[in-house]
Amino acid sequence: MATRNHRGTLLRRPRGPSLKSRVVLPQFTQHRFFGHGVPGVDGAKLRGKLIVVEGADGSGRSTQIVKLVDWLEASGHATVQVGLKRSTLVSAELEQAQEGNILSRRTLSLFYATDFADQLENIILPAMKAGFMVLADRYIYTLMVRDLVRGMDETWLKNLYGIAPVPDAVFYLEVAPEELVQRTFTKNAGLDYWESGMDLGLSRDMFDSFLEYQGRMAHQFRRLQKVYGFTIVDGHRSIDEISQELTEKVEAVLVGKNSH
Amino acid sequence: MLKTFAELNFPGRLIAVEGLDGSGKSTQIYLLKRWLENQGLKVYFSEWNSSELVKAATSKGKKRELLTPTTFSLIHATDFADRYERHLLPLVRAGFLVLCDRYIFTAFARDTVRGCPPEWVRGIYNYAALPDLTFFFKADLEVSLNRILDGRPQLKYFEAGMDLRLSTDPYESFRIFQGRILELYLAMSQEFSFQIVDANQSVEAQQAVVRQLITSRIDLESFRHNGGMLPRPMPSNLKTKWRRETIEEPSLEDREAPH
Repeated sequence: MATRNHRGTLLRRPRGPSLKSRVVLPQFTQHRFFGHGVPGVDGAKLRGKLIVVEGADGSGRSTQIVKLVDWLEASGHATVQVGLKRSTLVSAELEQAQEGNILSRRTLSLFYATDFADQLENIILPAMKAGFMVLADRYIYTLMVRDLVRGMDETWLKNLYGIAPVPDAVFYLEVAPEELVQRTFTKNAGLDYWESGMDLGLSRDMFDSFLEYQGRMAHQFRRLQKVYGFTIVDGHRSIDEISQELTEKVEAVLVGKNSH
Repeated sequence: MLKTFAELNFPGRLIAVEGLDGSGKSTQIYLLKRWLENQGLKVYFSEWNSSELVKAATSKGKKRELLTPTTFSLIHATDFADRYERHLLPLVRAGFLVLCDRYIFTAFARDTVRGCPPEWVRGIYNYAALPDLTFFFKADLEVSLNRILDGRPQLKYFEAGMDLRLSTDPYESFRIFQGRILELYLAMSQEFSFQIVDANQSVEAQQAVVRQLITSRIDLESFRHNGGMLPRPMPSNLKTKWRRETIEEPSLEDREAPH
């Protein structure tokens, strides 16, 4: 987190939340949907901003979202957070279904789409209408990339996620698979079945499968980046360095300069 | 782009029934199933909205009125995908006669009436092959309404389309909602070659029409268990559940090697 002195040089704020009293009013920008959107919702009425942080498990997403929320709230903006598998409608059922490994890839895909749509209509869109800053811990890009890695049709996915609003900023925290393994083992004792892509049968060895799967995910993310133009953030740097970059970019979004 | 199972050269066939709630289609497909089973044919029956994986979420959503047109559509699409990829498609590939009480046309009609863009809904289901035969049971609205009310005292919330706020009176809402669905079904009937059955007739008269059409369109003899032979008697030492299933539904190799 940084402020600037009169010469415009960045100054690192020592600690604690910002004490500035002036609240910047967010600039209105017109929102649109990737496709048809949702029946009965007008993009012009979405006053808030939608900020997405993407990246693999262990890329530092949650840490960065906590920091962004702190900074936004200290600056006087109301925030709401969403993420995958957090809907009232299907999160428990989805979790349960994943335990059994009996899901076909299309069922899994549609289950996640239902979970996303439920949060979209009950949280994201109402919050944006009310002028909140919505922080999404992963968005349709992760969902699409997972399905693309599993060989699903891109046109089919684009139609499915035509319901989603185009975010104001998308940050993809990129971390090399080898580094992700190290971070995962610092947090948990083992690798996750789905995060290792074990359902793809890439390798019986979970370690090999994890590296191969995360490599394929990163490749698809890079490809989608060219289509959707989101910001790739080097996730190998320190927490503060990354946070400073994100804060500056979100600040730009608030004054109406979208990051893409 | 959409093809039937026959056009995809799969050995099985899929027969679907469509119609309004209370049109009597479930009774008809049940009688059809009994008729085919009694002839010793390989039959599998699947109902709309019946996947074990998704059921809990759907009933929670309906009970607590959590569903919007979009999530209503997606949760049914999830249910269908699960049944299609784990049951319908593998069984058609294994040479079964698969009977479906409602198919993708139900989603096309209902979700569109609820306000979802028709291209979006069709796009979601575009991986599914078309039925080889689709019966549409066409009943007058009053007939459907009476059949529904005979069975139970009250209309269900989503069945009556109450989420659309068409009317505060459930009966009036049901009438408008089902009327719109009927229009969409009829608009699709040519495109998807529906076989229209007059569902105002008696159960027996309708069943006669259904059986006759199936006999003329499908070579039923080729769907007999075990290539026309009765299932082999089971050795008593193999009477476990697993063994019984494998003997009743012989693999393709077994069937194709009669010598």
